[in-house]
Amino acid sequence: MNHTTRKWSLRVLVIVYLGLLVGLPVAFLFIKTFSHGFAAFWNEVTKPDAIAALKLSGIVALIAVPVNTVVGVAAALLLARKDHWSARLVTTLFDVPVAVSPIIIGVSLVLAYSRIGWFGTALAAHGISILFSPVGITMATMAVSLPYVLRSVLPVLMEIGNEQQNAALTLGAGRLRIFWQITLPAIRWGVLYGVTLTIARTLGEFGAVLIVSGNITGHTQTLPIYIYDSWEQNYDVIGAFAGALVLASISVVALLILSALRSKERRLHVDIA
Amino acid sequence: MSISLSHLTKRYGDHVVVDDVSVEIPSGSLTAVLGPSGSGKSTLLKLISGLERLDEGRVVIEGDDVTSVDPRHRDIGFCFQHYAPFRHMTVAKNIGFGLRVRKQPKDQIAAKVDELLELVKLPHKADAYPAQLSGGERQRMALARALAIEPRVLLLDEPFGALDAIVRTELREWVKELHHQIKVTTILVTHDQEEAMDMADQLLIMHDGRIEQSGEPNDLYDNPATTFVHDFLGPTTSFKDVTVRPHDLELLRAGEGSIEGTVLSVTSLGFEVQVVVQLSDGSSPWVQLSRNEFRALHVGVGSAISIRQRG
Repeated sequence: MNHTTRKWSLRVLVIVYLGLLVGLPVAFLFIKTFSHGFAAFWNEVTKPDAIAALKLSGIVALIAVPVNTVVGVAAALLLARKDHWSARLVTTLFDVPVAVSPIIIGVSLVLAYSRIGWFGTALAAHGISILFSPVGITMATMAVSLPYVLRSVLPVLMEIGNEQQNAALTLGAGRLRIFWQITLPAIRWGVLYGVTLTIARTLGEFGAVLIVSGNITGHTQTLPIYIYDSWEQNYDVIGAFAGALVLASISVVALLILSALRSKERRLHVDIA
Repeated sequence: MSISLSHLTKRYGDHVVVDDVSVEIPSGSLTAVLGPSGSGKSTLLKLISGLERLDEGRVVIEGDDVTSVDPRHRDIGFCFQHYAPFRHMTVAKNIGFGLRVRKQPKDQIAAKVDELLELVKLPHKADAYPAQLSGGERQRMALARALAIEPRVLLLDEPFGALDAIVRTELREWVKELHHQIKVTTILVTHDQEEAMDMADQLLIMHDGRIEQSGEPNDLYDNPATTFVHDFLGPTTSFKDVTVRPHDLELLRAGEGSIEGTVLSVTSLGFEVQVVVQLSDGSSPWVQLSRNEFRALHVGVGSAISIRQRG
């Protein structure tokens, strides 16, 4: 096989593979959703339960994404400077929520916070209930999307080292100024990439949320659970498709924004070398 | 005295990186700290700037004890080995950083940045990003950035280490000239003895965290206190059981000198020729001479020859 044939067969292989796994299913989702026209689609996504689910997913994301971003960046800053076994242990602990099945996260949260659990009894005594409420859903979501920012920022920090920060320090800059004007611009692609992954995971989480939410329609249903419910419980195929399309669109838009920003930056030659 | 270091000591665990270093550095001088890698010379700069915390000792700059002063308030210009450019800022923004930190008025900053861009010959690159500069240009930008804050001391960590040979020599001349112009007390760290000999008013030779010897370059070259300094400052060879510089040996026609031998090998390096001579006592010193001197001898490998130490 000559070089060109090999190159082309590789390309075809990649395209076929992506087509079977991503392209075709998404295309069918799109076609099926609109098979009864746009009005049917609009009717589905504006149902009160669908809107409630969308709202809850949005609120959870608005809390989980900023908190995990701040925690991830702060942890990366601390861990990048330490090469101690304790630092490696902490980094590994951050990975646990994505390394295990989300179901396990959900079950563990139930164990810890239900009335049979350690904290659940104490909290219940104060009238606070974590499970089957948006609070529990937010906690489960934060847990499963914990490491993305840390994991995207840490290698960038390791690579840039501390020379730029030291240079700024000798030039008289304070720690806050160094963070905002030197460190953050240097790691911004890592942060943005981490945030995009966190958004995608936050909106998409199903397993852990299903366990802690109690699946109360209109109250503790996030968008993925609403889709599951429509599909499995209510045989509302169009409703499930419509919800899935909305969910997929949000993630795709986030990815597109990231890649558009990235290519604009490339043209400015700023992030090379 | 501009910088006075007394009993500086730094340990990493059990390892002593800088070991009881005391030295006085005169105001306006260019001092080179010369030593092999791992000798503690870069750590010494970090200790002076405060980027590394001292275990023991005191740093006094122009009469002010800065030992416990935060690095940001020491007024030290530091040029890092890899220049540490702020990659997301233009050259002009990089140079003006220290002035913006000092909250100087915008028009003053702009004027000062323009002046520095002229000084480091980069006015045409004001709006370029560091990624668009060559190694030498990045180095000059880093110098301008450090000089912008009008530091009391300028510290250069292996300033030419990452550059190719030609740019290196050019920049060396240029920094020498610059130092002549602005006379800021400068400490330069290098492992290149030629660079140190060429540039410095004062040399500090470091070895295993200690200062092996300090003084004027020529003085150290001629009167090395230890074999380490002798070896480190230039080539050496052994003649009659004494360590000498190979250019302090002289070759003569057979019978004309004090000791007789035969030519073992000849290496021609353009202008310089290196001749290894086999002596009857079994030793084989090497001699460094010019091409013309060698030609005048009319000898080749295997020829009988005479050798002596230049008076």
